[in-house]
This record gives sequence, C-alpha cells and structure tokens, in this order.
Amino acid sequence: MAAYEKRRAAAAPAPTPAPAAGSGLAEPARAAVAADGLGNEAEFLLRAGVTAMVREALLKVLEARPEEPVSFLADYFERLVLGSPGAAGEAAAELPGPPQRLARALWYVRLAHHSHRTAFDSNAGAAYEVLGAGGRRRKAGVDGRLYSELLRRICQHGGAPAEAAAALLGRVRCRDHEAVPFDVFRYGVLTCFVLLEFAAKADALFGILDGGSGTADGRVCQAVLRALEDALGTGHFSLPSRYLEAGSKLGPDGLALAMDRALQERKLGSSMSREEFLKKATALFVAKVKPVE
Amino acid sequence: MLSPERLSLPGPEYLAQRHVLTYMEDAVSQLLENREDISQYGIARFFTEYFNSVRQGTHILFREFSFVQATPHNRASFLRTFWRCFRTVGKNGDLLTAQEYHCLLQLLCPDFPMELTQKAARIVLMDDAMDCLMSFSDFLFAFQIQFYYSEFLESVAAIYQDLLAGKNPNTVIVPTSSSGQHRQRQPPNDCSPLDGVEASLFYQCLESLCDRSKYSCPPSALVKEMLSSAQRLTFYGFLMALAKDQGINRALGALPDKGDLFLDPAMDQELEKLVAQVSGLSVSGPTSSSGDTANLPVRNSPRINSPWKPLHHRRKMDAESEGSNEETDSSEN
Repeated sequence: MAAYEKRRAAAAPAPTPAPAAGSGLAEPARAAVAADGLGNEAEFLLRAGVTAMVREALLKVLEARPEEPVSFLADYFERLVLGSPGAAGEAAAELPGPPQRLARALWYVRLAHHSHRTAFDSNAGAAYEVLGAGGRRRKAGVDGRLYSELLRRICQHGGAPAEAAAALLGRVRCRDHEAVPFDVFRYGVLTCFVLLEFAAKADALFGILDGGSGTADGRVCQAVLRALEDALGTGHFSLPSRYLEAGSKLGPDGLALAMDRALQERKLGSSMSREEFLKKATALFVAKVKPVE
Repeated sequence: MLSPERLSLPGPEYLAQRHVLTYMEDAVSQLLENREDISQYGIARFFTEYFNSVRQGTHILFREFSFVQATPHNRASFLRTFWRCFRTVGKNGDLLTAQEYHCLLQLLCPDFPMELTQKAARIVLMDDAMDCLMSFSDFLFAFQIQFYYSEFLESVAAIYQDLLAGKNPNTVIVPTSSSGQHRQRQPPNDCSPLDGVEASLFYQCLESLCDRSKYSCPPSALVKEMLSSAQRLTFYGFLMALAKDQGINRALGALPDKGDLFLDPAMDQELEKLVAQVSGLSVSGPTSSSGDTANLPVRNSPRINSPWKPLHHRRKMDAESEGSNEETDSSEN
C-alpha cells in the first residue's frame, strides 16, 4: 500500500506538499508518456495484457451487477493475483486445502445473480471444478461433505434464517462420502440462492406488514401466509400456466382481498414477530423443494 | 439482491450509474503513468491495490481536483479525509479564516479551487464579513454541503433568483399554481418588505429539480421536513439549514454526527501514549505552550492536552480569541 501511495503522490500534476512528492518518479514517468504518444500506449496496454484483463473484469461486473462494483473489482483482481502463475508457484507448494477451495467456490457462485442463468451456470461450473480439484495426481471430485459445507456457507453468508437453511440442506443433501454429480451440485446451489432471495422478499413483506413497529397483526400475517401457500400451491411448476396463476394470486388485488378478509373476522388477533413470520414463510418454500435422491 | 432494478438496467447504464468506467479509466491511466515499475509489480496486483484504495476512500489523496470531485464516492472520501486529517484543529478549538481552511484543503488536493472554499465560508457567515474566523465544525458541515451538492446548489441559486425576480422557474414542469400565477404578475421589488421567497413554492421547485437532476441531491423528504416549519426563507438561510441538518449529514454518510466529530478513542489512546513518552523524555513537553506539564498525563482539558497543537494555535492566541466560544459567533442563530 505504501508503495502505491507514493506512486500516486508522484503522479499528481502539481507539486504536492506531502513528503511522498520527493520520490522523484514523476518527471521521468511523465516525460516518457508524453514522448510515446497515444499509439504506443494502446500498444503497451495490448502487449502487457491490460486490455484483455480489463475487458474480462468488466464482463464479470456486467454479469454479476454487484451492488458495490468497486469492492467487487477489488476482490476480483485479488483473486487474479492469488491465482496467477507467480503466486500459484508459492501457493501450489502446499495444495490449496479445503478451506481455500471452499472460499474460492463460494466466490464463484456468488459472482452472478441466478437470474442471469448462463453466467450463473458457468460460474457454478467453475466452482465445481475448483472444489473438485483436490489431489495432486488425481481429481478428487466433489463429495457430499464439501457440497453440504458449501451450501451451508452460502446460506450463512446470505443471512438466511438458520432453521430454514437447515431444513433446506436436509432436503438437498447428499451423503458425506457420495460423489456429487454436477447437475445435483448446480441444483443445490441454485436452490440455496433462491431461498436467500425468498427470505429477503419475505423479510421485506413483513417490513410492510409491521409498519416499522417490529410486530405485525397475527391475523394479517396468517392471511398473507395462506395466500402465499395457496400461490405456491399443489402440483408441479412444469406447466407455464401455473406461473400465471401463482402470479395472479400474489398480485396486489389477491393479497389485499386476503388481508381484508382476515381483518373482517373480528376476532382478537395475537401479534406475530418477524422471526416467526420468516420461519413460516421459508418453511412454505422449503416444503416445495424437490428432494435430491 | 434488495435493489433488483440494477439487474434489469442496460449494461452501459449500469456501469455509468455506478461510475465503474470512471474508476477503470483512471486505473488504466495511473497504470500508464507508472508503467516502468508496474511490469515487475504485476498488473493484477496494481488493479487490486487501486480498487482497494478506492474502496477504503484513500484514492483521492493528493489527486487533482477534477478527479476528487468526479464521483459522489470521491467527494465523500475527500470530506472524510479532510475531517480525519484536521479534526485536531477543531479539537483545539482553533478558529480559522476561509483562506486558512483553503490552505488545509490544498494540502490534500493541490489544485483545490478557492471559489469552493469561499462559497462554503459564505454559508457559515451568511454571505457577510468574509474575513471572519470560523470554527472547524461550522466550516466542515457547510463545506460538506457545498462540495457534495455543488451542482444542486448551483441550480438552487438559479431557482432562488428566478423566484425572487417573480418568475416561476418551473412553469413547464410544475402545474402553475394560483400563487405562482399571482407572483408572476408582481413587479420584482414588490416583495422587498418580506425577505426571501415563499417556502412551499421553493420546495415545489426543488422537488422537481431533484426529480430531473442527474447529480446528487439531498433526500427530498428531509428537505421537505426542513422547509415545512418556515414561511419564507432566504438563500443562505436555506443553505445554513442544510448544513446544520443532521439527517442530511447522516444520509450523506461521510461524516459522523456533530457531537461525535472529535470523538476518536483510538487516536486519543495513541496520543496519550505519545504524551506519556514525550513527558518521560523531557520535563518540558515541546508541544505544551501553557507550560503546565503537571497535568499532561491526565486529560482534564482537551485543549491544553493535545500534543497535536498546530501552528495556528499560537497565531490564534495572538488574535485574542482564546476566551471565545468554540462556535463561530455568526452561526449561533
């Protein structure tokens, strides 16, 4: 960091009062750039691989659309440093153990949002490779233990309610010693991300119901949960018309009707906390997840 | 995941909205300027450090003004850096002039324009007696508004002038209200007995300005709340209110609340240690101008105890403002 600060100080156009300005790098560097001209700069960038690296990084940003692209880019380039041949020379001496491989796989699967399906799939593929690249001679492959650990970390990282995460893991888990094929791997990872998003949406929904007070009317919550359950419904999602049906049931009209009906039953309702609501909502989702055989 | 609209934006718009290309271009031009040392350093490592320093907000140090003001993040980072570097000025209770604050700004950004400093000083001093001394916190919060919302304030000034002249600057955008119609026919100096412009009309104009502005604007809900208590207001009255509004400060996110401006347990501890060392080395602490070394290890008066007593302190004592309040006088209204 210190070296970098110094370079930047030297690159400032006016003389700076900071001690770093005395490094004397500024003049020769600028003179060189001025003499080279634009053509040479482009050539330098191309030859040094900067152009390709920047293009690749921007593509990753566009795929992932992170909330904070600067942090994303910092992490992205850091991974490149760690993965580059120079650094790999030192790192490969002791093979990356499961913790590093897990961290790296987690990073891959979090790169792109799952709605960008192609990007997500290719990142899942990369994660699968990384996770499976265990032994020096043979490819270890991904076993049930690594797979479960990765899913657990995805849920933990995304702040999913612990119970829902555990229930979901129970549904999509493989035995510890079993080899996990890629389609199961992808399915498990994808389901975890959808659960995270579902939990976030349910959380936002509760935020509307409680109006900032922390607890919401129990009857209204029950009605919303029932509407949700109804929309998730019976039967399989293979029929396209099912999506439309679910959508209409969860539309503002459908929800409003359900809540209205609930409020009209003039029973004294208890209140419901955020945790309880989240628990019930995510349980609905987890119940719909097709278990892995 | 919680702001899904970014996922549906077209690529170039997403990149522009988050200023990704600004930083990428800057990174590449920095790289080109330093290409000699980079070849052995590694390009990926260079980018890692660049983006890490952007993330931490240290990337604006000693950079040219055009870059410092290029993105909201850069502006916030600069404000934060300015506060962190010079808060001892405030802690000591020193009062400085606009020119002196400008010198401090130039230590961080050599080509920082004087005009901006002066504008910030105008907010503190309500456009009056420009060579007055200001307290650090008064200047800092006014400067924050002026620097972060520069473009917004320029538009506000234009709107204010239009309103003052009896024109409704928003005749196209805001449906002409009866009061607007009425005001348009008034001769400009008709409102001279009343100072400033009508608050509600002013707010309408600001709201539509924020809707169409591509620059950062203060959250309109907070501005509305601020203006709701006033009937009429002047331009500098409005800016002063913006600068003093802690909600807006929090929404901007660069500086702590006014009360916490000089709280820094880590640095205090560090200073305690230094003081202990210094007083251990020599009996007459070189930084103590009061000559009272007995109270050095005990922090009973933050003003006397700070070993970071800057140059300005002595000069200020010459100016005989020692007994004055910590706040700039003209801001106490």
